[in-house]
Amino acid sequence: MEKLIRQSWWKALGVVLLVYVHTVGMLAPLKPGIVSTTPDSARTGEKVTVAVQGYNTHFDSAEDSLRAWLKLDDKRALAAGDVAIKSETELEVVFSLPAYLPTDKRVQDFSLVLDNAIDGAFVRPSALLVTQDSIDPAMGQSAWTNANIADLHQHGGITFPFRSILGETIRNTYFHVSLWLAMVIIFTAALVYSIRYLRGQQPRADEWASALTTVGVLYGLLGLITGAIWARYTWGQFWSWDIKQFTTLVALLIYLAYFVLRSAFPDQERKGRISAVYNIFAFVALIPLIYVLPRLTDSLHPGNGGNPALGGEDLDNTMRMVFYPAVLGWTLIGAWMASLYYRMLRVERLSIEN
Amino acid sequence: MNFWQETWTLIYRDAVLEWRTKYAIGGIILYVLSTVVVAYSALIRLDPPVWNAVYWIMVLFAAISAVVKSFIQESSARQLYYYSLVNPAALLVAKMIYNTVLLTGLCFLTWALLGLLTGNPVKNPSLFSLIIVLGSLGLAVTFTFISAISAKTHNSATLMAVLGFPLIIPVLLTLVRLSAVALRLMQDTSIDGDMVILAGIDLMLMGVALVLFPFLWRD
Repeated sequence: MEKLIRQSWWKALGVVLLVYVHTVGMLAPLKPGIVSTTPDSARTGEKVTVAVQGYNTHFDSAEDSLRAWLKLDDKRALAAGDVAIKSETELEVVFSLPAYLPTDKRVQDFSLVLDNAIDGAFVRPSALLVTQDSIDPAMGQSAWTNANIADLHQHGGITFPFRSILGETIRNTYFHVSLWLAMVIIFTAALVYSIRYLRGQQPRADEWASALTTVGVLYGLLGLITGAIWARYTWGQFWSWDIKQFTTLVALLIYLAYFVLRSAFPDQERKGRISAVYNIFAFVALIPLIYVLPRLTDSLHPGNGGNPALGGEDLDNTMRMVFYPAVLGWTLIGAWMASLYYRMLRVERLSIEN
Repeated sequence: MNFWQETWTLIYRDAVLEWRTKYAIGGIILYVLSTVVVAYSALIRLDPPVWNAVYWIMVLFAAISAVVKSFIQESSARQLYYYSLVNPAALLVAKMIYNTVLLTGLCFLTWALLGLLTGNPVKNPSLFSLIIVLGSLGLAVTFTFISAISAKTHNSATLMAVLGFPLIIPVLLTLVRLSAVALRLMQDTSIDGDMVILAGIDLMLMGVALVLFPFLWRD
């Protein structure tokens, strides 16, 4: 460790990674997507005109290649009768709905699939609810299988997924989520140094534990703030006493108490020993707080109550290429900050001793 | 003497000390009574959700004032004498068991008093009793250990609150949620799993406290 903190390659690596994360994470565009469709319901047998509001789309430029479908599954789909382009992001699609639906349900939701040469293919799930008066799946099947969805275009270049509610805020994954993971790594490192202090009684280990905990608290605060800003855009308000927000706040209080405890001891040996004991006890008390309790209650946060988290379409391969470097970058920068603070604490102690 | 004999003797000693002075227990009973009166006169009607919150607030503050004295009531010189006389871990275990029993008693007392004055909204008494026992264990383990930490400082009572309240929140959150089930405020199909989680938190904290205590008592 003592050798490593004088070397600069890992600090440079941290800076390079974070520059990469900020450039690619903020500048790469989102995939084309559909923001809204109106109307959202129709009846069988009518001719419905769906107005589509797109995002990052090129309807006007890709005029000739534009195609649209109402889709139930891979076999049952209906091609659009007519497509009227208003602008690059606005479009009207006309569907002549057959008299019967291909299901035995009264009301069925259909996804809207758009495809063109520039944007590739993209979907809005459950875009249109169709109600039928009388049910006859067999009749419906024959009417709805006339359109094969084939020869779809691919969208080129580096893009992040378009998720309807998230929009551009999906980029916060590189800050909120990766800061949180970096914080857990840093607190774990602080725990390791606390255990080391109890085994060897070296003042250095205590200074490391204290420096790492300081950086961990800083990352926790940043994670809480970035989370609150994200919540403002997706949940509607900065703070809603969601269980995750609540438990994170308590976790920060537990670690702030660590500094109150440290300030209560004038002599280094007792300060180091007792704060190390508290740090280990606090870490153990945190595990249920962060990983177990949020599973017991309803929460809006991803990963709870059936909400998706890091997986599926939320973290595709392009996002992984930025997300993992972000975690590593934040951890390295955190370690750099901690090592500076550690050296400062050490200089202070040595100047008192001599 | 072996470990458990020592533990038993220490528990007996704590109980005798308590019985002779009756200072702490009397104070706590007065504390619970006056809180009940304040809560009752301020709120008049305690609806079950409010009852649940008021109950655990009262238990929390009664617990902290009951446990805070564990390692403070005797001078540090006499503490050191005990540590040389018996296994230090036995001292911690004895305090934890004694505080668990004391808090269980306090919880039932609070339940009885609050129930007497405001009516008893608990629909499932056996579940509520089990929650009380597990909750008392969690409160006693955490607060006893925090009391041992804060006894090492000069302003131990303040530090006890600063260190103790955030650490007890995982236990308290689980308790409030479980007792909401016992009050039939909410349906819960995974109640057994939640009880196991609460017992798990208790045992985990107790294990860590036992491992860390040897580093704490030496001065």
